[in-house]
Amino acid sequence: METDTTVVDRIAMGLSGALFLLGVVVLGFVEILAGPPYGAAPQTNDAGEVIATPLVDPNLRTGLVIAGLVVLTLYGLYRLATPYFEGEDQETPAVTHG
Amino acid sequence: MSYQAANPLAEDFDVELGGAWTAYWLAIVRVITGWWFFHAGVTKLIEDGLAYSYGPMYLQEMTGTALGPIPVWMGENLGWAIQALVPLGETFIGLALMAGVLVRLASAFGAFFMTLFWVGNAGFGHGLVNSDLMGLLLFLTMIVLATGRYYGLDAIIEKMEFVKQRPRLRYLLG
Repeated sequence: METDTTVVDRIAMGLSGALFLLGVVVLGFVEILAGPPYGAAPQTNDAGEVIATPLVDPNLRTGLVIAGLVVLTLYGLYRLATPYFEGEDQETPAVTHG
Repeated sequence: MSYQAANPLAEDFDVELGGAWTAYWLAIVRVITGWWFFHAGVTKLIEDGLAYSYGPMYLQEMTGTALGPIPVWMGENLGWAIQALVPLGETFIGLALMAGVLVRLASAFGAFFMTLFWVGNAGFGHGLVNSDLMGLLLFLTMIVLATGRYYGLDAIIEKMEFVKQRPRLRYLLG
């Protein structure tokens, strides 16, 4: 499997994966360790008043995930734009019957 | 027991990537994901035609999100197009996934839609990982695994001479 990946593949996978995991998991742990609210939304009381706000701005977390998506998009465009070499195989096996 | 990074399932309980159960399940997930978007789009078309006015309104309310001023600008300046493109886009994305045609291209548009839904919808009352993010992950999965090749028309289209002579099309098909 590793022999099939280029440096660009590894950069795209590593960078996008790191951005996804940082935005969702790592900062999610930080949010839990920081105490209530344990999620990305403010905590309110029965009257609807905000009694605790998230430590990490959800815009930062969603922004990191979006950055990861941008990395994958740029990677896809790069793959479309680069020359195709004979014998290069990007296919997963086609299955048309059981 | 050895661990295969390439295919961790290929040990005692063998599930091959090209095997029947994998193909079956990827096709099922693709069609149901397609139906989800088709239903969302076609019901808007039935109710509002090409004048889905909530679309631009939704974008204009996305101030202060991680996408910055982009959706607000789209809502304010491309409102006429958004009104038509949201129902049409959802419908065609759904149809493409169900039929397995241009699945990667359709899924890229689906991922774009879901990003807007995820960032703009919820206020994250159910956490950052909510159903909108899961929908976004479904579309990315369609792209990565090229699910149109499993009982989809892309499997046939990709065998056509036109595509064989233009192999880069497989990035949009599949």
